[in-house]
Amino acid sequence: MKLNRREFLALTGKTAAGAVIFAACGLPERELIVQSPVDLPEDLVRGEDAWYATSMGDFSNGDGVLVRVMQGRAKKIEGNPDHPVNRGKASARYDSVLQLLYHPDRISEPMVRYSKSGNLVAANWDQASTRFKEALSKADGALTIVTNPIRGHLGAVATNFAAQYNGKHMAFDPVEQGVLHGAVKSVLGQDQLPTFDISNAQTVLSFGADWLGTWGSPTQFGVKYGEFREQQDRGYLIHAEPRMSITAAAADLWLAPIPGTEGDLALGIASVIIENGMVSPQNVAAFEAAVPGGVSSYQLAEVASRTGISADRIEKAATHFAEHTPSVAFGGGSAGAHTNGSFNLGAIYALNVLVGAVDAKGGVTSNPGSAFDDVPASATGASFEAWEAELAEWRAGNVETVIIRGADIVHGMPNSVKIREALEHVPNVIAFGAIHDDTMDFADLVLPEQTFLEAWGTEIPEPGPGYQVVGTQQPVVGPTITRDESGLISDARGFGDTLLSMSDGSYGSSMERLVKDALSDLHDTGRGSVSASSSSLFINGTLQRGGWWDISTSGSSNVGKVNVKERNASYSDTGSLGTGDDFHLVPFHSNSLFDGRLAATPWAQQTPDPISSVSWSTWAEINSIQADELGINEGDVLRIRSTSGEIEALAYPHPGVRPGVIGIPMGQGHHKSGRYAEDRGSNVFSILADEKDSETGALAWAATRVRVQRAGRRVKVPKFEGNVVARPVEPGVPVLVVGISETAEEAQEANHHLYQKQFLGEGKESGSDE
Amino acid sequence: MTTAEFGTHNWGMVVDIDKCIGCNACVIACQAENNIPINTQDRVERARSISWIRVERYWEGDFPDAKARFIPIMCQHCENAPCEPVCPVYATYHNSEGMNIQVYNRCVGTRYCANGCPYIVRFFNYWEPVWPESLRNHLNPDVTVRSRGIMEKCSFCVHRIRHESRKARSEGHEILDGAVQTACSSACPTSALNFGNFNDPNSKVSKMRGDKRHYTLLDQFGTDPNVIYLAKIDADKKVGAGEAATHG
Repeated sequence: MKLNRREFLALTGKTAAGAVIFAACGLPERELIVQSPVDLPEDLVRGEDAWYATSMGDFSNGDGVLVRVMQGRAKKIEGNPDHPVNRGKASARYDSVLQLLYHPDRISEPMVRYSKSGNLVAANWDQASTRFKEALSKADGALTIVTNPIRGHLGAVATNFAAQYNGKHMAFDPVEQGVLHGAVKSVLGQDQLPTFDISNAQTVLSFGADWLGTWGSPTQFGVKYGEFREQQDRGYLIHAEPRMSITAAAADLWLAPIPGTEGDLALGIASVIIENGMVSPQNVAAFEAAVPGGVSSYQLAEVASRTGISADRIEKAATHFAEHTPSVAFGGGSAGAHTNGSFNLGAIYALNVLVGAVDAKGGVTSNPGSAFDDVPASATGASFEAWEAELAEWRAGNVETVIIRGADIVHGMPNSVKIREALEHVPNVIAFGAIHDDTMDFADLVLPEQTFLEAWGTEIPEPGPGYQVVGTQQPVVGPTITRDESGLISDARGFGDTLLSMSDGSYGSSMERLVKDALSDLHDTGRGSVSASSSSLFINGTLQRGGWWDISTSGSSNVGKVNVKERNASYSDTGSLGTGDDFHLVPFHSNSLFDGRLAATPWAQQTPDPISSVSWSTWAEINSIQADELGINEGDVLRIRSTSGEIEALAYPHPGVRPGVIGIPMGQGHHKSGRYAEDRGSNVFSILADEKDSETGALAWAATRVRVQRAGRRVKVPKFEGNVVARPVEPGVPVLVVGISETAEEAQEANHHLYQKQFLGEGKESGSDE
Repeated sequence: MTTAEFGTHNWGMVVDIDKCIGCNACVIACQAENNIPINTQDRVERARSISWIRVERYWEGDFPDAKARFIPIMCQHCENAPCEPVCPVYATYHNSEGMNIQVYNRCVGTRYCANGCPYIVRFFNYWEPVWPESLRNHLNPDVTVRSRGIMEKCSFCVHRIRHESRKARSEGHEILDGAVQTACSSACPTSALNFGNFNDPNSKVSKMRGDKRHYTLLDQFGTDPNVIYLAKIDADKKVGAGEAATHG
């Protein structure tokens, strides 16, 4: 190509060289964007996107989301700004669900096992339906439906289906919340989990529950936490947990009690408040009426000794809680997962009575019941005790058919219950799911299930925002065709639709019809956030907005009594476990994998744990000083034994764990769960001892003691920490911290002086050669 | 403080560390929005993972006084960016809206920019990005999939800015404060990450950067970042006490 001088000059004006020449003239990049061949997709958005409002299904406690869809493909999941629960915000788990939708190992078609010793073979839906009907034909009075705790119409469909066959619907949650629900009911008289008005509280005192990470409704709580810190008088957070969770890390004061002594700590705090007259006599009287036996045996020195927390820290917590009001106290998670879990949580929730926080601004307020008569507003897993009884029925051959959905019971139950053996005694095991899980290895019929992005439903958030909310769930994408157009990625159907198609039709014909009829009923009430002249307009409006809520509704509390039947925790025994050092096992939810339900997705696997920064594996957190004493280094493979079995995990010592405690994340150790999770890490559920809460029979999943021994191997821990060299704002100070009234400049100056003093040494002068 | 005064927009971010809980919602939101390759275990172990925004965690003190401090770090979009003048092919340059732009199809992979960046927020693609066929369905069509051999980094979700700018132009108004949200700031549950226009004195970020807690990272290098941090508050820290060196 020949260029004359004029063309050459014209061309240079449109290139990078031209950009340099024009740099002094301003706005050169506009020239580049428009005229140079550097148009990127970022500059030219082609095609239209659509944002559909729906609910997060099984992956949150009722968050409302917007899903970005382009050309029939879901691209992104963000919070729905209209939704009163998460108010437009997200968690680290939202987008991972996209990878379940498009997972390369998604179950593509039904599979049937024709004999217990045979393999699963591919089938079509007609064959699968025939097999399903055969299983149901003998199941009258001998049917159990096992699901995760599901609220909304899907839960109601499962319950009604079971009732039609005189069977039962049992919810399974490996980290069951029965103790929490029981404590809330007995102390506050509420059937649903209450709302914590964190936004308006001056002091938050929480126990065991990692509410900023994984407990309850973390996105809702995260939004409130932002507001809590933003107040004119910045809120003060006190958190009690044996290991440092996300919430403990955010706390102004972290208390690390001996596991199982959280109730003692709560009553010790109450004792300090009462003895020092920090609250009104009326509040004291109400509190003492709620706590049988009062707090006379919870004197400060005694509580300090029992909980392992110094008296001055307990006093400091008590003073803040009582004097910087409004205050709110709540707990859950590991605090309730003990043999005395009901006492622990009861004592914690009773603290609200002491500071007048029940149904008060900045305190704990109740949620109203469901907007629908036939759909409960609350769901929780059956107790471990109930599960043991149920599995005994399976083993005895009294259950003909078990239908399982959203609950990987083989992965989630401790070895001690021998779940595999129980499943082998059930003639018909039918499992629904998107990815092959450990339970499906025992299924006679595997049915590919739609994700919540493909199915209809409703959701009642728990805990709600203090008024009635109905979230809607609608299909945002249709079935996805494979790239070579040979078929669908998954010929999946909805769990609800499949059950309805197998039922007598008395409850409904399809999930879509059920949802629309339910919304139509809401329209007839004439109340709530959506108003429309006709039922169909109301349905469209509700679906567009992601739900319906009525801020005029509210619940009410009725203060009762703390259950004090069992005040002291007991733990599993380690006497017969061979050599090693004894630790108290505190399992915790993974921030990205949760209890393992997102383990199949690479984004969830790769997300660094906030505290350890570890990904793709199972690690064991132990106190760094204790690790030194025991000669344990990072990456040492540890054998962790309990009365229920043994697992291995990589040692990760750090200073944020109570000595004597070993923290292990849930979520790994699947034998089946797609290419990203299969045979990766260890399953901490498997080694939990069969200790139970004395009141509810719930699994005391934090009451296991283990014996720990080095396996003699050391491997590199896959972690993000250290991948990037820290570049501190001041040598040794990577994150600038200021006091309440301090400016950044003052803090930097003080740091600088301190550093100079440390670096040069006291008495030495700047410029010294030493 | 930023110095970009020209143009209508000077995009920037204010990160309130006091609200950051280290949850990593921003990290995954960015990963999904910007087609960042999967950080496999092998890549993590070899310190070759790509994360346009990362949350660093530092330990302070020992049990029972141990504290974990979090700080999210992304490209600081410096006004005096050390990465810009070293690029021999102008693949990275500063635009009039306060952003440090990476032009992928100019980049020849010298990695000079990464060497020059004191914040270590530029990432080199050592491998061709690979997703299983079905996972390609969720790729964002607005964002280039970067090939092996080139650099990438936080773009302040420039495609979202372009989208809102076109929309505002077609509707005949200026871009409203808050209308453009990066994927990370949109996800952040506690609103620790805030994105907006520093040239609008009434924008949320302009007001926030007037906070007495504001500072910039590695201020001593004079890079003049467009990411402003608000210091973490420790209720127990006394004014002028200074901080001892930390570990972790």
